[in-house]
Amino acid sequence: MDTAIPATTPNRANIFSWHFMPWPYLDESFEENYESGWVTVPNSLFDTDKARGLYQEYLDELSYADELEFDGVVLNEHHQNIYGLMPAPNLLAAALTQTTKNGKIVVLGNLIPLHFRPLRVAEEYAMLDCMSDGRIVAGFAPGGGHEPYSYSYSMPLARERFWEGVDLIVQAWTQPGPTTFDGKHYTMRYVNPWPQPLQKPHPPIWIPGSNSPETMYEVANREFCYFLSTRGKLAGAKRSAVRFSEIVEEVGKKFHPHKMGLLFSVYVAETDEIARKECEEAVFYFTRYCLKGHQRNAGRRLTMAPGGLSPQSWQMYLENSVVGAKMLGDAENWNDIDEMGSIFVGSPDTVYEKLWEFVTEANIGNLLIQFHIGNLSYDLTQKSQRIFAEQVMPRLRADSEKLFGERFPITIADNVPA
Amino acid sequence: MAMKKSTIQVGGKSIVIHQDGSGPPLLYIHGIWDIHTLQADPFPFHEQLAERFTVTMPVHPGCGESTGMSDITEIEDLAFHYLDLLDALDIKQATIVGFSMGGWIAAEMAVRNPERIGKLVLIDSAGLQVPGTLVGDLFMYVLHRDGGIMQELRELLFKDPDSTIAHEIIPDGRVNIPDEVLRYKSVTLAARVGWEPPYLFDKKLLGRLHRITSPTLVLWGEHDRLIPIANGHAYVDNIPQASLRIVKDAGHSTIIEQPAACVDHITAFLETGKLPVSDTPSLASAG
Repeated sequence: MDTAIPATTPNRANIFSWHFMPWPYLDESFEENYESGWVTVPNSLFDTDKARGLYQEYLDELSYADELEFDGVVLNEHHQNIYGLMPAPNLLAAALTQTTKNGKIVVLGNLIPLHFRPLRVAEEYAMLDCMSDGRIVAGFAPGGGHEPYSYSYSMPLARERFWEGVDLIVQAWTQPGPTTFDGKHYTMRYVNPWPQPLQKPHPPIWIPGSNSPETMYEVANREFCYFLSTRGKLAGAKRSAVRFSEIVEEVGKKFHPHKMGLLFSVYVAETDEIARKECEEAVFYFTRYCLKGHQRNAGRRLTMAPGGLSPQSWQMYLENSVVGAKMLGDAENWNDIDEMGSIFVGSPDTVYEKLWEFVTEANIGNLLIQFHIGNLSYDLTQKSQRIFAEQVMPRLRADSEKLFGERFPITIADNVPA
Repeated sequence: MAMKKSTIQVGGKSIVIHQDGSGPPLLYIHGIWDIHTLQADPFPFHEQLAERFTVTMPVHPGCGESTGMSDITEIEDLAFHYLDLLDALDIKQATIVGFSMGGWIAAEMAVRNPERIGKLVLIDSAGLQVPGTLVGDLFMYVLHRDGGIMQELRELLFKDPDSTIAHEIIPDGRVNIPDEVLRYKSVTLAARVGWEPPYLFDKKLLGRLHRITSPTLVLWGEHDRLIPIANGHAYVDNIPQASLRIVKDAGHSTIIEQPAACVDHITAFLETGKLPVSDTPSLASAG
């Protein structure tokens, strides 16, 4: 399996630039007129004149991250929403294989249950791996809350189809074809995809999860990377990381911070004051509009589509959460933003300190950072990425290398596939 | 007679069965918001039904304390499960009352093995796709709005969403975790069989209804906003011997909002064996 950490991978925190590619042209009337930025938000708001050039601009921002030597760029898949215009992330990944040279291209992830046969996902990732010379990180997801509504598929069945689909894809990549596949939901006479991925035994696989033990066990058993998709404070991330690392050890595998990823938003500028001033509009555009229908109480929140969790996990969720508790999208001011602990705005020192806490206290080894926030301009996005790459990233890399060297030394044995 | 609770094995699933009352036997197939799914105990409707009949009320696979949810991926699985359950209980021919999703299951059983069903009662039943109408979006409205409000679900389920009973059954916020888990299991099962196609229908069922040989009483809440009454008309227009009775002052939760009226209709039909005249002209005869 893909357990082995290649000897060439530095033993330090990996830092990625993640783009959500939102629709950035909403105004105040959105708040009053629409209950959600997802599923039912009318697509008459999509203004084709304004849309011209938007994807090019967003792709440029990611290509620039690659120039700045981030460890990679990240895309994801969402449908029928203003939060992220990436219903087909592999199309964007394909473009990035030609405009980036160094870093990984992480697609986090393809939504398996949307496919009649998940073989298609195995084929597309294999193409991308060839086109990028082995730089693809293959993410798979069952769809968050919204997609079952957008694609009229059953959330509880998606859960089952998801893991079966993942196993079909791994089989397609690792067992010399043609083979057959006989599952509960997918049955195939010929599994024999051309091309095959360049990375062996297959590209790294990342799976998003929101703390359900079922997902953690499935990921740990297969030795994939667990990406915690719920944003949150340090304490929560720490609990999740401890729980996941315990599960990894429990199933007889070895934990390393590279097996865990977390999402943040960052805007960095010369000083705290300048940073806040420059990104304030964009940050609240993101929380009020993009998160409406998702991580915000106001309006119609579809994130917890029924049947996405087992009844046991649902009970756990009910016991450990408070109805109407403030979420990121409910933030009304900078104090609230600071309190939520997921969007870090400030000077290089401020941003470094916030991120470092997650590395040193929660052992998070993959920092996935959203630089383009809400309706942030192209120039400010590039500026923030540049300052980050010059003044924050080197410190995080050096300090995490020292830390991981002490806590999680990689030995030759770790690099020998089981 | 006190309610008896037992457990039987059906196709590897452990199925809990509640039985109550005396008189002629009747199999009750519950809905998404009903006994076993909102609360374990019977509602007044079930108690009043048990005054006239011996009512057997199995719990769906994966709901309440029954197991076997993972075996169910489409409505046909539930239809065959209940036909297997008739075998397990040694019932040659059953009188079936099905409510909501339970009525859908009963109709799917009846088109497959019509001889196993003597008389049939369908109450606000899902299962059909009627052009120009949509089943309410229960999968969307089962989620809180504005951080804790369940008004839209109450509107789907009750004639008067502001009534005490509507708030008791579907409260705002978080009130009782065990009951919420019961409800979650039920909605999960409904999502397994009824999210695709959207929502709660089997495209082929309408064309198969002609196979049903049972006299069939169709009861419908006058203000059902979850399953529009056009579905009730479609049932009576396509089942060879069927009548529609409309229950006044009820939404989808007819059995909860108007228990006595429901029991009276059912008793009159089952005791005489005669179908009443339909309340409104069916679409076919109107044409």
